[in-house]
Amino acid sequence: MAQNQRPRSILESLGEEIVRIITPVSICMFMVVLLVSVLNSSSSSSSSASVSSIATIAYAETSTDSSWDKFLGALLNSLVFVAVVTVVTFVLVLLFYLRCTKFLKLYMGFSAFVVLGFMGGEIALFLIEDFSIPIDCITFMVVLFNFAAVGVLAVFMSKMAIIVTQGYLIVIGMLVAYWFTLLPEWTTWVLLVALALYDLAAVLLPVGPLRLLVELAISRDEDIPALVYEARPVTYNDSGPMDGVAQRKVWRDRRGEDLNDGSNSNSNTNYVFVDNVDSGSNTLSNSNAVLDSNSDSNTLVSGYNDASLVGAEEGRVPERDAELSVPLIDRRMIIQPQQQEDAVSSESLMLEGIGLGSSGAIKLGLGDFIFYSVLVGRAAMYDFMTVYACYLAIIAGLGVTLVLLALYRKALPALPVSIALGVLFYLLTRFLLEVFVVQCSLNLLMF
Amino acid sequence: METGSDTHPANPNPNPNLNILNNRNPSPSRNSVISGTSPVWPTIDGPLGLSEEDSLSYARRFYKFGFAMLPWLWAVNCFYFWPVLRHSRSFPHIYRYVVRSAVGFAVFTALLSSWALTFAIGGDRLFGSVWDQLVMYNLAERLGLTGWS
Repeated sequence: MAQNQRPRSILESLGEEIVRIITPVSICMFMVVLLVSVLNSSSSSSSSASVSSIATIAYAETSTDSSWDKFLGALLNSLVFVAVVTVVTFVLVLLFYLRCTKFLKLYMGFSAFVVLGFMGGEIALFLIEDFSIPIDCITFMVVLFNFAAVGVLAVFMSKMAIIVTQGYLIVIGMLVAYWFTLLPEWTTWVLLVALALYDLAAVLLPVGPLRLLVELAISRDEDIPALVYEARPVTYNDSGPMDGVAQRKVWRDRRGEDLNDGSNSNSNTNYVFVDNVDSGSNTLSNSNAVLDSNSDSNTLVSGYNDASLVGAEEGRVPERDAELSVPLIDRRMIIQPQQQEDAVSSESLMLEGIGLGSSGAIKLGLGDFIFYSVLVGRAAMYDFMTVYACYLAIIAGLGVTLVLLALYRKALPALPVSIALGVLFYLLTRFLLEVFVVQCSLNLLMF
Repeated sequence: METGSDTHPANPNPNPNLNILNNRNPSPSRNSVISGTSPVWPTIDGPLGLSEEDSLSYARRFYKFGFAMLPWLWAVNCFYFWPVLRHSRSFPHIYRYVVRSAVGFAVFTALLSSWALTFAIGGDRLFGSVWDQLVMYNLAERLGLTGWS
């Protein structure tokens, strides 16, 4: 009878979890590549020169400068941008420390509205102009307003269908990523590298703002009010009935982390279940209630079946394989607010970094979506060959990050590995592979 | 392991704490005993979604907010509570709001699409010079909306 309990091996469930995080990343990248190729092929590249933003405040790239000048200018731009982002992140940490959660949520709802409404509207206008779609302004305004308002509700204000929330998060990532691809070329690449380094520092250094934020959130067991994509947790179909939906703790207990898997899985498991038993009713009066009363709409609800069954596996597996036992049950993510170009910034909007909620679902910050898509979008501006290479590189980097997450079981930055591989593959493809492939094709040798 | 209702598949588990979970009886408003299947959840997310009490307040809230020119919110409401539409007898209160949302969405969409199609297909011939003033790409050009200010 025990065999009925485990319909899948841990490898299958692990694979499904990974697929559930790679799929949205791929969709976001694909949409950005689509947008880039549709909108940039129809209009000339002269429009990129008119984009002035906080990322080009120090140096506006023109096509007549020498490479070295462009590089220095890009470096300057990136430093300015990273400095702004650092300041903003520290402000966010301060606000979170002072428990201004309501303000943060309102601000982020507002930013989400701006991104969806204004940037979504602008991109829609680009498309309308390019394809001469005969839509009138009334319909357009109504549709746009609907789209933006429901997006804000889905992402921040209410509990909505998981797929709707995920869809809107992907759309937000896509819109911001498209915007970033409008920056000048050198600036974009140097900015990506600079942000990857910043992410590494901010998450792993003890003084890094993101690490402080995560530590604060863990100590209070609160959810960080920011944009994070959470993959749907893997459910097991033959789980027992649940009396109502249980609340869970946002962060898994820390004391489980320090000991090794084998000895501690059971206490981890028990902790999870104790929490569940306490939360018989669905009200916030649960003593283990996750969040404080302000964020009433943000109570995280998960099928405790999943946690219980995964936990049960966790209890059993260590006898066999202590290393592989609980790859996905761990802590959380890193955040990195990103500042947007306009004064109406959505700085605390995007998150980067990868981590795990206590239900075992993988969480990936929206900043990661954005910068992966920026890299691929930029690659698309050159040729599709670079797109394929960079896509594979980024997915490989994401896989490596997930493995590291399973190994180290703490919040990790998701940008560095993927961006490093992506940039490397872009350069290799552009300067080496393309020449090779083109010559082979011209001489009818291959391809 | 509960011995009462036999509606759930056997759920053996070495962990004793889990049995406390499984011993809970489903609430009487669920049709599980009658239908012989797992309890029906009001939301499309199933056990990951809302409970029944929360669902009522959410359905009501979405319905009321939809009146602020948000038919898409009504559509999302219907999508989210799709099981309610299918098993209307299990959730009488939620069903009322969801049905009204569906009706509202249908009416609004009919109106909006008829206007949009008339505008698109009729074009210049029907509206005359007003068409050029109303169409979006001209408006965007005139107001300079695509200048990435």
